[in-house]
Amino acid sequence: MSKRSLWRLIFTTLICVACAYFFVPLSKVRLGLDLKGGVHFELEVQGQEALEADLRDTRDRLTDRLKEKGFPEVVARVDGMAVKADGIPVERQPDVQRIVSQGFSGYDATFTDKGVTLLQKSSYQKSLKDDANKRALQIIENRINQFGVAEPEITATGAEGNRIVVELPGVGDAERERIKGLLTTPGRLEQRLVAKQDPTQGMGWPTREAALARFGGQLPPGTELLAQPLSEREARREGKAWTAPGPGQPDPIRSWVLVEEKVYVDGADITKAEPSINPQTDQHEISYVLNRKGADDFYNLSGIAAEENRRIAVVLDRKVVSILWCKEKIPGGAVRITGSFTKDEAEDFALKLKSGAMRASMKFLEERAMGPSLGADSIAAGVRGALIGFLAIIAFMVFYYRWSGVNAIVALTVNLIVMLGLMGSFHAVITLPGIAGFALTVGMAVDANILIFERIREELSNGKSVAGAIQAGFDRVFWTIVDSHVTQLVAAILLFIFGTGPVKGFAVTLTVGVVASLFTSIYISRFIYDWILERHPGTKTLSI
Amino acid sequence: MKIFQNLPHIDFMKYKTVALAISWGMILLCFLWIHPWKGASARVKLGMQFTGGIDMMVAFKGNVPQEEVRNALYAGGVRDAAVVAYKDKPGVTTFSIKVKARKGQDEKDSSIQIKQITDALKHLDAKAASDHRMDLNTESVGVIVDSWMKQNPLGAQGDETALRQTYEPWVNKVIRAREKASPMTDYNQLPSDLPAPLRASLEKDYRLGNLTILKNESFSPSISGEWTLKTLSAVGWALLAILLYVIFRFTVSFSVGGIVALIHDVLMALGLFVLFGFEFSVPVVASFLILIGYSMADTIVVFDRIRENSHKPEYRRVDIVKLVNDSINQTLSRTILTSLSVLFVALCLFIWGGHALRDLSFPLVVGVITGTYSSIFIASPVVVFWDHTFGGKDKLKQHA
Repeated sequence: MSKRSLWRLIFTTLICVACAYFFVPLSKVRLGLDLKGGVHFELEVQGQEALEADLRDTRDRLTDRLKEKGFPEVVARVDGMAVKADGIPVERQPDVQRIVSQGFSGYDATFTDKGVTLLQKSSYQKSLKDDANKRALQIIENRINQFGVAEPEITATGAEGNRIVVELPGVGDAERERIKGLLTTPGRLEQRLVAKQDPTQGMGWPTREAALARFGGQLPPGTELLAQPLSEREARREGKAWTAPGPGQPDPIRSWVLVEEKVYVDGADITKAEPSINPQTDQHEISYVLNRKGADDFYNLSGIAAEENRRIAVVLDRKVVSILWCKEKIPGGAVRITGSFTKDEAEDFALKLKSGAMRASMKFLEERAMGPSLGADSIAAGVRGALIGFLAIIAFMVFYYRWSGVNAIVALTVNLIVMLGLMGSFHAVITLPGIAGFALTVGMAVDANILIFERIREELSNGKSVAGAIQAGFDRVFWTIVDSHVTQLVAAILLFIFGTGPVKGFAVTLTVGVVASLFTSIYISRFIYDWILERHPGTKTLSI
Repeated sequence: MKIFQNLPHIDFMKYKTVALAISWGMILLCFLWIHPWKGASARVKLGMQFTGGIDMMVAFKGNVPQEEVRNALYAGGVRDAAVVAYKDKPGVTTFSIKVKARKGQDEKDSSIQIKQITDALKHLDAKAASDHRMDLNTESVGVIVDSWMKQNPLGAQGDETALRQTYEPWVNKVIRAREKASPMTDYNQLPSDLPAPLRASLEKDYRLGNLTILKNESFSPSISGEWTLKTLSAVGWALLAILLYVIFRFTVSFSVGGIVALIHDVLMALGLFVLFGFEFSVPVVASFLILIGYSMADTIVVFDRIRENSHKPEYRRVDIVKLVNDSINQTLSRTILTSLSVLFVALCLFIWGGHALRDLSFPLVVGVITGTYSSIFIASPVVVFWDHTFGGKDKLKQHA
């Protein structure tokens, strides 16, 4: 063997070994959800809600600032997509102007003779939405990680980055609902004061209508009615009948509570949260720790509550989960919520608190759950189909081209090895259409070989020597092969850009297949011929 | 072995008018039959990704008739479900259940609908009414792990993590056995090395129902329009990119010829696809794009030969019709061989690839045939026509 051939052999072997490293054993090959089974969600962050949440924050801040600066009666309110504060005399508007220009930079203020209207600037709206998207992604990652799913895939997509794709392999149908619930609830924790009210009146009203009737159809300014859901444990303790609500149905409601609109402590200030069991009552609880700002806020809140003998409502996602008594000012920022939770509820609750508050909720655009048995059947059938196709081609090539056909088979086999290796090396996922892609690239690789062989035959019949015919055959078809492969590559790359999920997998297989086929048909086939010519110099015949 | 002992001399260009008339006529007939301009009543089947809705796949043990499933769904309040039965495995009937989203439907409804469908299907299990244990065929890994961790039938020591590590591998084994049986019909199908206490606990707590849910997908109506747009733009961009590449490598006449042939192939495959009642899904569109790639690759081989020949002295003074004809003839055996081998593969996938790959491989089967045909009878005549009309005598040859 000449030095050149030896080097080529070593090079080829090295490539094959390197490729094999990436897919041997076969369990290294990553299967798509359609083959492995699992859950796929595509969610959209509802950016509008982040804007609304910011409006509510602004309303509270504006009221506070106005109070500080000598407008004790003025209560700001949210009106559509604007914050309005009425009852400011025209002559004192410069004061208000100063307040607004200092602390409300994201807003455009317009003054009327009645008061001031704040509107969000569009650049500010965009940054709010971007922030909501980033937070949502982060929070979903945290929640999923703590749920303990192996190899989750969480990616942001969409033109505005407001789409999140979550892929959880191996998750079954039963866990799907729980994860879905965990992903959609914003986990916004607020601590507010329960509104001042007649002490003879109990903690709440059984229906919304009853509460409204109590106030003559009009709630006191700065307050709102929130529902306190009835939990399973509570119902049992109180001897009430309890049936689990079906998916999509609202939880049964224990009572409606009138709380202040102002939020004192926000969930974003929580640094630590965990479920625990109270040894005295044997109830599941959640304890959490607040950061410095949160602790200060809570100190103030507990101060007001203790002084005025009022209670604190813990509100999660606009539902009252617990109502706390407070006898004295509480410093330090360690809080325990003693609601009536089941174990799962307490865990999920703590998880939501720990992973922080989302600025907006999620909408499910797409939801797919695939059982693994479907995948197993599909793999079996797909591999069977592809294998029969492969064998048919091998048989055909050897039958038609004799020994040169064997050359093609070597090239095809190397092609398969290189393809699998390339896919393994950049952790590409094999999907069901991908299996079809595999089979097709085999067809393409065969096309390149057929082109070469037919050309060699043609040159031989034109009277060229074996070596000359091989030389001419490869040279002449080189650009044909490149051209035809590049057009396929163009289609594959566009598939990758525009496709999603399984289609992307298809595109990857195809792209890799085109590259592998270029290498094997031009390099490997040529090498085999050269090697044979080297061993039989001056041969007069070629088995083709 | 050889197909042609000598170079064939078939005058393909003589048949071009007939060929053009026949194939475009067929396309026209297909589209008249499909009437896509009629919107909703067009005979096009669209996957749930494009319309929004629910796409489920379930398997029943034994021979459950399609009518019975449809009736059970109807009784359970799912009135507009499309039910199709498959027989992939002996003793098991697989059903595809599709429910289109109604106009203005809320995304949140899908969970309720899926539950409604599953509940309706559970009525088809006669034993479920008398046996209230959980169904081993439909419970997930998590449920079984949790119950074993609670009961701890093996008496394992340690904290929660240690327990999980003890039981999870066994659960995975059980699930694999279940997948193999799909659905499991007999406790004997459980893995043989499963410890006796675990086996006993499964036999005590779970019954073996006759239903498994294989797949369960829902697509929001609001995303479907986007899918359609995305898909169409992918096809559009692919055509444009190929057009530009061929202009860059060849000339405008080849490019136009290639694109006309591509459009012909795609339309033909589309027409036949709908005609045979297949359903469009996103992977199917992918396979149409592959068809584009294949058809173009095939055409390029012929074009390449035309270009090569145009440089040769013996073709300097001959008519373009002869140039094209000779080139096609010279590449004919390659064209036939390649098409046959790719057709082999596509047909194998179509026949043995399971019904999931069937929709996908049909456009490929059609595409290989029309792709080959169109390089000869559509693309090449367009090149000739273009050259006669716009090119002047020697335009093509000088360009090449």
